[in-house]
Amino acid sequence: MLGRRRKQVVNALQVALILIAILIMLVPIAWIFMAAFKNHIDVFQLKLFFTPTFENFGTVFEPPFFVGHKLMNSTIVAFVTVVLAIPIATMAAYSFSRFRLTGETAMLVVILATQFVPAVVIILPFFVMFRDIGLLDTRIGLILVNLAIVMPFAIWMIKGFIDGIPLDTEEAAMVDGSSRLQVIRNIVLPMAAPGLLTAGIFCFIIAWNEFLFALILTNKDAVTLPIGLALFKAEEGDLWNLLSAAGIIIMLPMFVLALIIRKYFVQGMTMGAVR
Amino acid sequence: MRDSTLKYLLVLPAIVVVFATAIWPLFESLRLSFTVGRLSRPGSLEQYLGFENYLWAFLYEPAFWNSVWVTTIYTILTVGLTTVLALGLALLLAPGGRFRSGVQTLLILPFAMSPALIGVSFRFMFNPEFGLFDAVFGVLIPPLADVSWLVDPVLAFAVCVMADVWGWIPFLTLVLIGGLASVPQDTIEAAQVDGASGWRVFRDVTLPQLAPVLAVVIILKSIFSLKTFDQIFMLTNGGPGTATQTLSHYIYFNGMKYGQIGYAASVAWLMVIPMIFLTYAYAKFVFRRE
Repeated sequence: MLGRRRKQVVNALQVALILIAILIMLVPIAWIFMAAFKNHIDVFQLKLFFTPTFENFGTVFEPPFFVGHKLMNSTIVAFVTVVLAIPIATMAAYSFSRFRLTGETAMLVVILATQFVPAVVIILPFFVMFRDIGLLDTRIGLILVNLAIVMPFAIWMIKGFIDGIPLDTEEAAMVDGSSRLQVIRNIVLPMAAPGLLTAGIFCFIIAWNEFLFALILTNKDAVTLPIGLALFKAEEGDLWNLLSAAGIIIMLPMFVLALIIRKYFVQGMTMGAVR
Repeated sequence: MRDSTLKYLLVLPAIVVVFATAIWPLFESLRLSFTVGRLSRPGSLEQYLGFENYLWAFLYEPAFWNSVWVTTIYTILTVGLTTVLALGLALLLAPGGRFRSGVQTLLILPFAMSPALIGVSFRFMFNPEFGLFDAVFGVLIPPLADVSWLVDPVLAFAVCVMADVWGWIPFLTLVLIGGLASVPQDTIEAAQVDGASGWRVFRDVTLPQLAPVLAVVIILKSIFSLKTFDQIFMLTNGGPGTATQTLSHYIYFNGMKYGQIGYAASVAWLMVIPMIFLTYAYAKFVFRRE
């Protein structure tokens, strides 16, 4: 009897701790959501109840903020980065997964290692080069450097997915006279499709949230959403309600995407070190 | 086409991209680190100085040592706190059940948030007039009621650490839950039958089994902590003064704001060195699984 009682207390304690953790985790997000619907007077008070307004979401799209323009830049940059990265990564991942290559381990380690090179190191030479050839403040320039951060993730993640596809179907098709490229197109790609989509979404989130490259390379035409956050500093201080509205525009689509691929999140981030 | 040719053709584009976007800039940075390297003086990117930039950082730049110090403390605190708290949360959530897996789904959210936005939201939460965390801390710890968090060097640093830990706990927790799932349940039950206390089971059975995953988590988090830039830039911009200036921020400031790209590149390369060791350790764990 006593043991059961004790078990109940422990369980209640655990649930209480979990609830506190959720609270701490959700409050900053909830706070932004609330502030985005407050008018500029309510935002300066710790109010839980207020008359919600959609005005902020309109204001951020107007001059001088032009969030629409940044939204378009972010979308194009992240999308094109993914569209370029995934096919290239898939080809490499297939080869790494199915064949023995000379220097394979070395190549994989180098690819893994590039992920850990600090972004500041990479961006200094790119800044100089882009200044010389006129790619500063362009979406093309941003897409090129974004490939640097996305490629290693994409290759390792897709390799993980292809490793999980059984070899027999491929071998059977080869015996029936299909060429290797036909096998890749007709068998591997359809089977790997969910994995490719997952990797694509994962890379999209990374490119969308990328900050340092965009901060250094853009100043007007190609500014992306995260950099756009700096716009909401006025002389009288931060415009918190507008900042929050812009914040929602940045994070809400990523929340949706992250929930779609939640099962593979851990595997992707650790590049297969943990599954 | 024969497989022996095809297999190299397939990896070629990826290798080209990785070389062009990561390896080339890495070594071009190394070259720049030996030059005068002023953005405002065109020829200076080819004017070589030897190790002068490195010596300058070591001997004449207290701000460099400050950022090394800030980054070190920041890394130790964020890695330690995030790992311990995430392990605690993972142990709470691991038993499963609908409620607990619902919470696991929620854990994805902070991770999809851009670090820059996390910085912004923590500046908001610690605003002295209408910040919620500022108010909560004021109630819980009365001496902190009237402080301006982001104006005080130590407290501003504490806020940066909190923002980082807040942003990373969910991800580390998810990884550790995955790790806990692979600890064989029967070993734990056997220990419990033998009468071992919960703590003993954790220390003698769970923890040793979890060690490889913990190592991966700690290495990965160390790498990301050392590189920290986005949140700091949005939260304190290195301030007050240079109290929260991490190495990445110091490099950014010298390279981009002062235009001393050669000097910035030399400090950046000093930062690459610990990364090489960490990456080596990480790669060992990844390939051990193959």
